[in-house]
Amino acid sequence: MSAPTLTTTEPLVHIAGFRMDFGRTTVIRDLSFDIRRGETFGFLGSNGSGKTTTIRALLGIYQPTAGVLHIDGRPFSPEAGERLGYLPEERGLYKKESVIDVMVYFGRLKGLGAEQARRWSRAYLERVGIGDKEKVRLDKLSGGQQQKVQLGVTIMNDPELLILDEPTKGFDPVNRRLLMDIIDDQKRAGSTVMMVTHQMEEVERLCDRVILLKDGVSRAYGTVEEVQEQFGGTILHVDHTGDLPSSAAYRILSDDGGHAQLEAADGADPAAILRSLVEAGAGVTRFAPTRKSLDDIFVEVYGAGATEED
Amino acid sequence: MARHNLSTVIAFEFRRTVTKRRFWAITLILPILVFGLGGLIIASNVSTAKTADQQKNARFEFLYSDASGLIDPGVAKEYGGTKIASDAEGVEEVQIGGTPAYFAYPADPATQTVKVYGEDAGVFQNSKYSAVAQSLLAASVEKKVDDPTDVAVLRGDVNTSTTTFKDGKPAPGFEAILPALIFLAAFFVVIVFLGNQMLNSTLEEKENRVTEMILTTINPTNLLIGKVISLFAVGIIQLAVFALPMLVGFLFFRDQLQLPNFDLSGLVFDPQKMIVGALILIGGFALFTGTLVAVGAIMPTAKDAAPVFSVVIFAVVIPLYASGFAISSPQAPIVQLLAYFPYTAPITALILNAFGSLPLWQAIVIIVELFALSVVVLRIAVRLFRYGSIEYTSKVRVRDVLGRRPGRAEPSQRGGA
Repeated sequence: MSAPTLTTTEPLVHIAGFRMDFGRTTVIRDLSFDIRRGETFGFLGSNGSGKTTTIRALLGIYQPTAGVLHIDGRPFSPEAGERLGYLPEERGLYKKESVIDVMVYFGRLKGLGAEQARRWSRAYLERVGIGDKEKVRLDKLSGGQQQKVQLGVTIMNDPELLILDEPTKGFDPVNRRLLMDIIDDQKRAGSTVMMVTHQMEEVERLCDRVILLKDGVSRAYGTVEEVQEQFGGTILHVDHTGDLPSSAAYRILSDDGGHAQLEAADGADPAAILRSLVEAGAGVTRFAPTRKSLDDIFVEVYGAGATEED
Repeated sequence: MARHNLSTVIAFEFRRTVTKRRFWAITLILPILVFGLGGLIIASNVSTAKTADQQKNARFEFLYSDASGLIDPGVAKEYGGTKIASDAEGVEEVQIGGTPAYFAYPADPATQTVKVYGEDAGVFQNSKYSAVAQSLLAASVEKKVDDPTDVAVLRGDVNTSTTTFKDGKPAPGFEAILPALIFLAAFFVVIVFLGNQMLNSTLEEKENRVTEMILTTINPTNLLIGKVISLFAVGIIQLAVFALPMLVGFLFFRDQLQLPNFDLSGLVFDPQKMIVGALILIGGFALFTGTLVAVGAIMPTAKDAAPVFSVVIFAVVIPLYASGFAISSPQAPIVQLLAYFPYTAPITALILNAFGSLPLWQAIVIIVELFALSVVVLRIAVRLFRYGSIEYTSKVRVRDVLGRRPGRAEPSQRGGA
């Protein structure tokens, strides 16, 4: 679960009745959700479900067909004064310029002084392990190093709202953890984080609330626990020595070498299921009820064909 | 904040342009060529003058006959000449190697040819014979005149000063045209050398996928205005670099380069012409920059945008071809058409202005037209950049963006929905 923060119910992002048509194709239909100040919000969905479109409309890059998309009570404008950090899915910076020049440029555009931006950039580059690259042109860096620079540019103005579109895409596990630590730090510092990701373990670890989008329609919305609750289905991990009998109280998802996963039917009591298994002589040696993971829910909602990466 | 961001964009764009090797390579090519060409001209002129002097002053024994009576025997003797009576004898002496040369002066050297015979000394050295023959004739005639002033007049060493009058007042000549022509040269050089950069200035954001970061950080109007101003500043640097060799050549190597002896103090800076010239230059620059920036916003890559640059150059060059018309017949329909069509107006109007054929009312119309259209084009460019540059891989349909109602544009193919 995420680090403790001062989460309030007051929304920083408010989206209501959002609809987006491209030509005759409707990409988003009547989408409504809020992101509260200080929370980390998971924006989930398979490819083409409308996540990036929603973010672009929220940031004024696309004009919505209908609906309200507000940040801090008004439509977003670069000069409205909100401290925004946006890491788009399409990564890119001025590749022919040096790392420090690009960081200072964006720092200046985000309202920092030149020296302040330079000091911050150097400290950040040291932290992410590329302190010796400040004078290197961006196109001479590896893809992962470029992403670190871009993340630095995103957070350098200490943003109130941090929007990260697949922030860990292309990172190895070590750098993924480093990035998650940085996001945690931002959250501790009071940032509200909106995160698009396909990594469900990250969502479970970091996010306070999530929304699942499919074909431009919200399929689930609430805290991680509420979403798990909504999709019901307690999963029972059962180690056994005998045969598992069929029952209307559960469905056998897998049974391999004495290790089985059962999905409890709606309203079924796990304790009653255990009792029935014992009475049926299944030789139960371990019985562990768990909730469905977000990963399971994701596969259930989008089907097994949903890809992990764009 | 907006002003701060504008100055930040200007500084960033200017610095990164002028610190690029490619920029200096392109910028320095012209001055280096001018310097190289100037050096070649100087070397060639010096060599030619030296050779001419050497040949004119060459001393060798020769025979001559003089039907004109103009050749002074004393002068001829100084040149090494010996007079003979017969043409045939002179030619024969040359043929058998008895003398290096023979000159046969006709009765009227002004209308008849002086015949020169000599032993072959090679293509270049052979010209010394005619050089000496001419020099001897000139020296003999000058001796006859026997007056330095008359000699100078005959040699053509005379300076003239022309004053013409228009409406009862002395009319300015070329000295009044040249200062205003500087705006024409500046416009041409800036568009030709910076046009490609203008085109690429927004393409870079697109090709580098930096558009989304930029659009959420700075107002696109500020970004594009910042780019235009920085390009203008870069253009001034380029003009200064281009002008340097010309200035050095004029100030220090005028004689060697055989440049006209032009009195800079005589230049006439007509305030109206200068102000009109400057405004047309700025308006034309803004129009072309805005147009190229807009094109950059709708093209996916520099390669796709390149053909558009040819069209721009075409628009700049066409009025230059018509410049003869503009000078001699400024009221000709074709000239007037070119003067009012926005993309040919800057060059045409700058020519008309320099030559005093652009009345103030027409200048005002053209300037207003250029500035108004620049604002419109720049607004369109901002709109195209805002809604078009997000299309990373496909060409944007201008109609979709300009007639944009919410959500009319097609989604990006790569951006994910």
